[in-house]
Amino acid sequence: MSLLTVISQIASGFGSTLIIFVCTLLFSMPLGILVALGRMSKFKPLSILIQGIISILRGTPLMLQLIVVFYGPYYVFGLKLSTAWRLYATLIGFSINYAAYFAEIFRAGIQSIPVGQTEAATVLGYTKTQTFLKIIFPQMVKRTIPPVTNEVITLVKDTSLAFVLAYQEMFTYAKQVSAAMSSLMPLFVAGVFYYVFNLVVTLIMNYIEKRLNYYN
Amino acid sequence: MMKKFAAMLLTGVMAISLAACGGSSGASTSTDSAAAEPAAEETAAAEAPAADAAATAEDTEFVVGFDAEYPPYGYLDEATGDYTGFDLELAEELCKRRGWTLKKQPINWDNKDAEIDSGTIDCIWNGMTYTGREAAYTWSKPYVNNSIVIAVLADSDIQTAADLAGKVVIVQSDSSAETALKSEELAALTGTFADLQRNPSYNTCFTDMKSGAVDAVAVDIGVARYQMRNNPDAFRILEEPISTEQYAIAFKLGNEALRDQVQETYDEMLADGTVMKVAEKYADDNLPDMLITE
Repeated sequence: MSLLTVISQIASGFGSTLIIFVCTLLFSMPLGILVALGRMSKFKPLSILIQGIISILRGTPLMLQLIVVFYGPYYVFGLKLSTAWRLYATLIGFSINYAAYFAEIFRAGIQSIPVGQTEAATVLGYTKTQTFLKIIFPQMVKRTIPPVTNEVITLVKDTSLAFVLAYQEMFTYAKQVSAAMSSLMPLFVAGVFYYVFNLVVTLIMNYIEKRLNYYN
Repeated sequence: MMKKFAAMLLTGVMAISLAACGGSSGASTSTDSAAAEPAAEETAAAEAPAADAAATAEDTEFVVGFDAEYPPYGYLDEATGDYTGFDLELAEELCKRRGWTLKKQPINWDNKDAEIDSGTIDCIWNGMTYTGREAAYTWSKPYVNNSIVIAVLADSDIQTAADLAGKVVIVQSDSSAETALKSEELAALTGTFADLQRNPSYNTCFTDMKSGAVDAVAVDIGVARYQMRNNPDAFRILEEPISTEQYAIAFKLGNEALRDQVQETYDEMLADGTVMKVAEKYADDNLPDMLITE
């Protein structure tokens, strides 16, 4: 099989990888903010519960979490699983795992803002929500762009873990091409795809960071 | 400023997800149509719940689960981009005769038990070894005689199984070769190895051997032949197989109704020569000789 054919075959799996990537970011970031707020809540039981959840999600392998989410409904509730569930389970598993990581990143960002600003906002008559949305959140975004970029890049590569649920994403496809050709070349082609994808992600994040640096 | 940024970000995300949707649906349709080939031992289990799969009157989707890195039984056809192979081709013909829709579902071989148990696939039809696993599934009648052989590098000094003493041998995880090597009959032989390693993919096993990381691969003869064809003069197979066994189609334990339906049509296909015709397409892998034709 020529290099060009290999490239086009692996590229056809790229859409599936992209779906996992986009949807996971879409769901895990807002979820991460909620979890971070819950973690910092004054209501102790909630805070402790969230800490426990974050600890489990960060402390166990993502592959294992995917398997639990996928087979859970059948083994625990006896529900029938479908092919579509492979995609949904992948997205759910990825989203909650990454939400845990993002929650800790966002918590660091929020807590790094001097408490004097929150006090000033209260004095000026801002409500808690207004303080968060207009004062804290924008600054948090600026501060957490580098660690968030880290997580996004990790996510691009972690999408290959979806193989464990037999979801046909790009790396699974590359392995199948590799087996059909009895050669490892397709795996390197897939590696190039991942690298280029990550390059684009890094460029975009750098651009965002520059645009948000409006005080300098 | 933030509003404009948020608007740009959301637009970008929407654009990407639209592109991704288009891309992914394209990819999924191509993989679905690919797997027509019978080879898959892991025949895609019908979508219908494994329990009532027998009836499958209206929504008769037959989901075959298979290892897509297992030529010649189930693999990706580079030319067409579809999944093909001896088992998948048989499954295609069978579904045509029964009026079922075939869904070829590549699975992770390590998870095959969970997949068939939970009903995400209807059967495993992909060089699935029956010998030694009789109690774990509901089986069709065996259809291929298989042997587990040892593959070594062409210039290796290993000539017989006895020469494997002190060598590193590798198998596919959860494969029948692994079961055979760990069984009582071969425990003595396996005990002489320096190490018995496992890997989820036979392709990686052979690459490990090419690179020198391992000395021998214990593998099904059909798979070994395919690797030898793709890597001319790189490997050879020891004369004596270390074990012989049979392939059959595996269904969820208790799913006799579906098994009987599949068996009925398979017997027809065997009787009218269709199965042999498909086997002849894979004559390079010696399939016509391995076929059970009673």
